[in-house]
Amino acid sequence: MLEIKNLHVSIEEKKIIKGLNLSINKGEVHALMGPNGSGKSTLSYVLSGKDKYEIDDGTIEYNEKNLLDLDVDERANEGLFLAFQYPMEIPGVQTSFFLKTAINSKRKYLGQSEMDALEFAKLMKLKAEELNINTEMLKRDLNVNYSGGEKKKQEILQMSMLSPKMAILDETDSGLDIDALRIVSEGVNKLRSNENSFLVITHYQRLLNYIKPDFVHIIADGRIVKSGDYSLALELEEKGYEEISKSA
Amino acid sequence: MELTLNFDKIQSDNVSKYVKTILDKKNPYKNFKIENYKYAQLHRDIRSETLLRDIDISELLKISKNISPLSSNPVDLASNLNQWKYKNDDSFFRVSSLLKRDTSSINLDFIDYKNLFLDISQINNNIHFLKSSKNETNLIIMNNKSKDEYPKSIFFDISNNTNLNVIHFNISNYKSFLYFESNLQDNSHLNFVSFQSDNIHTRNEFYASLNLECNFDLFGLNINNYGVNDNYSFIQHLKPSSSSREIFKSIVEKGAITNFQGKIYVDSIAQKTDGYQMSRSLLLDDISKANNKPELEIYADDVKCSHGSTVSKLDEDQIYYFKSRGIDSEMAKKILKKAFIAEIIDSIKDDNLCDYSNKIIESLLT
Ligand SMILES: Nc1ncnc2c1ncn2[C@@H]1O[C@H](COP(=O)(O)OP(=O)(O)O)[C@@H](O)[C@H]1O
Ligand SMILES: [Mg+2]
Repeated sequence: MLEIKNLHVSIEEKKIIKGLNLSINKGEVHALMGPNGSGKSTLSYVLSGKDKYEIDDGTIEYNEKNLLDLDVDERANEGLFLAFQYPMEIPGVQTSFFLKTAINSKRKYLGQSEMDALEFAKLMKLKAEELNINTEMLKRDLNVNYSGGEKKKQEILQMSMLSPKMAILDETDSGLDIDALRIVSEGVNKLRSNENSFLVITHYQRLLNYIKPDFVHIIADGRIVKSGDYSLALELEEKGYEEISKSA
Repeated sequence: MELTLNFDKIQSDNVSKYVKTILDKKNPYKNFKIENYKYAQLHRDIRSETLLRDIDISELLKISKNISPLSSNPVDLASNLNQWKYKNDDSFFRVSSLLKRDTSSINLDFIDYKNLFLDISQINNNIHFLKSSKNETNLIIMNNKSKDEYPKSIFFDISNNTNLNVIHFNISNYKSFLYFESNLQDNSHLNFVSFQSDNIHTRNEFYASLNLECNFDLFGLNINNYGVNDNYSFIQHLKPSSSSREIFKSIVEKGAITNFQGKIYVDSIAQKTDGYQMSRSLLLDDISKANNKPELEIYADDVKCSHGSTVSKLDEDQIYYFKSRGIDSEMAKKILKKAFIAEIIDSIKDDNLCDYSNKIIESLLT
């Protein structure tokens, strides 16, 4: 599904990712954990195709395609989704309109006909209810005056409506209380299947109690220093980043 | 091409010294340093006419009653020439248009339709609208494909306790120089929306005089123009407790220049005045320009007046967010532009007119 080899990335001449390797197969859930500033968000931006990041070396293969050849919107329409750590506010654009435009862009890309208004409304209502999102909120401007938790839920709603093949969640857990965390996790778990893959980026082990990963990777200073199964997350919780990185 | 308009000919007629002074000393076609016309560049030829598109607004004719001032009696406004009811400088546009053109009047009370449509580009006269009935009236004024270098005036006399809604479509004009003057009597309300697009060289002057407890809303939208598009407003609050609200939004591209210069004047007895003025411009490239110049002149102490202006670009991070959800950048930009201007279109209260205006604007957005 996703194969990152020897990735080196810099921004404004500053090296951030320094030789990162990561391979995610269909149906797998990988957790990426690491201290602040270790390059987690940078990796997620590079995967989604945000500009200004310089790929100095390495390759990224996604679904047998060279991911780096695709523009941001093409990657999205090919089934890659990034739930942002800090979702953008878009004043003047209604959330439901944004969702509808996104869904229909993808359908158009895939050569399918547009979803009609009724079908869309049904789908939105269903998915919103699953995530315990008040549909009234979807009439408001996208992320404007949403609380931190509401923004994160909104990202997960977008994800569940677009049902991506490869979803990257960048610290979706931060800013969520325990109830919201459970609801969001359920949303993610519902999408889990042997067709879909996840890269769950988090700072804390807490989220992984709800979304059980198949693999856990620890990133420090732009490279993965240790990989293991779920027990690595527990070990990390116990020892802290510094000791784990040292022992690597 | 000779650009300086020859106002000397009419000047030789029997006009007062006052008028002569304005024609001579305050002529922005000759003198480009006059403060109120600072950015209008009337002395210059701007760009070629061939840029203009052909925009279809025929639908508007279907949803409204076509009216004409020609059946009405012409009125003699020549006597008004020397009477300037506003503070500060007389408008050159007003004076020259009254000298150059006859004025026709339309009494809106005599027309029993809610939506009225008038194409002023087909009429050489100035027009004087009167409204004193309680009827709800939406007046649609279209100015389309004008090449007229001479200013034209449109007057509104709005009686006590009366409402009027005006929508002005200023579209595909090579040259158009308009003076709007609105006189609002006590407790009256004027909602004025001006859509300006696909023009080469335009200036619109919005003068309004507000009496007791009046309310004047002026919304301007300026998109997809090619040359110099200049808006000047002068709103005077003469009596207590009136409010004015001006919101201008411009999307400027392709080397166009959009100007907004607006003054709010509050008389010393006009306590409890509420004045608001906002001009926002979205610059889509580095060769286009937006000039904003707000002015407040306040002589009363218990008033609330505020103004602001912003010039911004489309937000790259917002576009990235759209793209990350599969929406291509062209669509993302269009949605963001529409979001930017929605406030202006939404200010039209009549649903049909709002919907139809929305369609026109959508077709004008690139
Ligand atoms: N736009 C930028 N310009 C310069 N440095 C940046 C930029 N974005 C991130 N960085 C730097 O890159 C490093 C990794 O940042 P980031 O990927 O956000 O870390 P994480 O998400 O793991 O906390 C940090 O040292 C950060 O300061
Ligand atoms: Mg981060």
